[in-house]
Amino acid sequence: MTEFIDVDVRPILRAGGEPFSIIMATLQRLAPGQGLRLYAPFKPVPLFDVMAGKGFGHEETELGGGEWEVRFSPVGQAVPANEPPANAASADDWPAATVQLDVRELDPPEPMVRILAAIEQLVPGQTLSARLGREPVFLFRELTKRGHQWRGGFAADGSTYELTIRTGAS
Amino acid sequence: MGGNLCKWTISYFAAALAWLIAAEVLMVAGFGFPSADIAAPDTLVLVHMICLGWLSMAMCGALFQFVPVLVSRPLHAEGWILPAFVLLSAGLIALLAGFLALGGRMPPWLWLLPFGATLLIAGFALVAANLGLTLWQSRPLPASARFVALGLLAVCATMAFGGIFALALFEPAPGSLVSSVLASAVPIHAIAGLAGWLTVTAIGVSYRLLSMFMLAPDVDAGKSRLVWLFSAFMLGAAVIGGAVAVLVGQGLDLALMLSAACGLATLACYARDVAELYRKRKRRKLELNTRMVVWSFASLGAAVALGAVLAITGSLAAHVGALVFLIVFGWLSGLILANLYKIVPFLTWLETYGPVMGKAPTPRVHDLVAERRATKWFVMFFAASWAATALLMLGQPLGFRIAIAVIVVATFGILQELIRARRLTDVAAPLRLPAGALAPRLLITRT
Repeated sequence: MTEFIDVDVRPILRAGGEPFSIIMATLQRLAPGQGLRLYAPFKPVPLFDVMAGKGFGHEETELGGGEWEVRFSPVGQAVPANEPPANAASADDWPAATVQLDVRELDPPEPMVRILAAIEQLVPGQTLSARLGREPVFLFRELTKRGHQWRGGFAADGSTYELTIRTGAS
Repeated sequence: MGGNLCKWTISYFAAALAWLIAAEVLMVAGFGFPSADIAAPDTLVLVHMICLGWLSMAMCGALFQFVPVLVSRPLHAEGWILPAFVLLSAGLIALLAGFLALGGRMPPWLWLLPFGATLLIAGFALVAANLGLTLWQSRPLPASARFVALGLLAVCATMAFGGIFALALFEPAPGSLVSSVLASAVPIHAIAGLAGWLTVTAIGVSYRLLSMFMLAPDVDAGKSRLVWLFSAFMLGAAVIGGAVAVLVGQGLDLALMLSAACGLATLACYARDVAELYRKRKRRKLELNTRMVVWSFASLGAAVALGAVLAITGSLAAHVGALVFLIVFGWLSGLILANLYKIVPFLTWLETYGPVMGKAPTPRVHDLVAERRATKWFVMFFAASWAATALLMLGQPLGFRIAIAVIVVATFGILQELIRARRLTDVAAPLRLPAGALAPRLLITRT
């Protein structure tokens, strides 16, 4: 059962304030698996896409008087808005990487080949972490098809792409 | 996730190449310009076979595959791609038949013109909506995707003018607004199509593809933003400025000059960015596609220089055919052919070996092609395109047709290389089809 943190933006909007930053700040503080329950004086449709991009599905209930309660809960299959960070909502409970690869110096698509080869040697549940020179856009499709989970993103230096993969049961 | 394979991209490429070869064969036979007038119906047949059948179909196929990569998001509606293909193909065939009717080569069924235009508009609307919604849902857009958005606006403008022309040709009404648009707005239609849709889109996609293929760092967003701004002004000056000029009954000169100035600024800044991509690349040894793309850039530069000289000497009207030929063949066709030589083997490799990678030994992408053998076709293509341009300028129609015959041979050569890649002909036997791998089909991608 998802635990929800409540955010009521009705008083903020009535006072003429801007609720988006408060919603986002709350989102930052959510623990893994926690959801966000929003009370709003209208159906916050634009927010649905934003939240879907951050890996949250939503259920909404009309409260009457035009007010809505919307429950955003984390979903396994995040629908990324721009960067495809993952097909897994969180990597916090993943074991430490069994294999670490640094394929930054290899020409694409060689990193993809190496990573898939290494993944095949792991048992389900084990993880692999890799550092790449580029975002491996075509690798993700293959990982998903093979039932693996992954999270990835550029490191703070902007030039190294860090990818963690947890092997699936298949 | 934008890394999915598009089922129909290869089909679009195949249709595009068929249109290209058909148009080239007609040119060798002496059909249309320069034997006929540049505005003659026969020439219109050729121009639309090449610009819609070849360039636009190839561009659409590439965009369906690469827009999702540019924005890291799946295409809005995979299911719209095939209907768009049918609408575009049927519309083009009807339009070409309409031009043949206009030229007296068929019974005078001029209704074919608005009919074909309607199908084409519907087809491009489906393409633009599909790609446009994909982009819209991906805001804020990365730099290269902004160019695609601009190119999609340009194709809409091109179609709008084309639709008006079709109506005016179907039911001539001298003195009406529609007729005056036909009389004066052809340059706007051509600029929106060639410069706006095809060139601006190619520029945008090339920023990402060049950096991907050469392992170069992405161009600084501020620099490519400048190129985008200039190209938006170029398009705005031509389309909005031109439309206003037509509506108030003024000449197009001012709008076209403004547009040309912005176009020059676009290309100057773009040239700087491309030079930087090549200079900062990590892959020192260039592959055939990136070497050949340089030649298409050279053709674009030569077209700019030629256009400037013609404009200054007042002979633009006399040689506009040669200038457009250089842009269409040396720049756009050369660019697309060179990229197809990379894209088709790469997609084929991913389609065939992706599912077994790591489970069995697989060939490298490079094993699907034979660059040394393919090089000669590209050399022939570019050399003959430049020769054909010169022969047009010199008023040598027969020489021009001979040069086009060489282009036909070169195109067939490149086509054969692409088919060999699709069929895995050049992959050595033990690696060719590892257990679990399925041989790719020629025209449709397994997704």
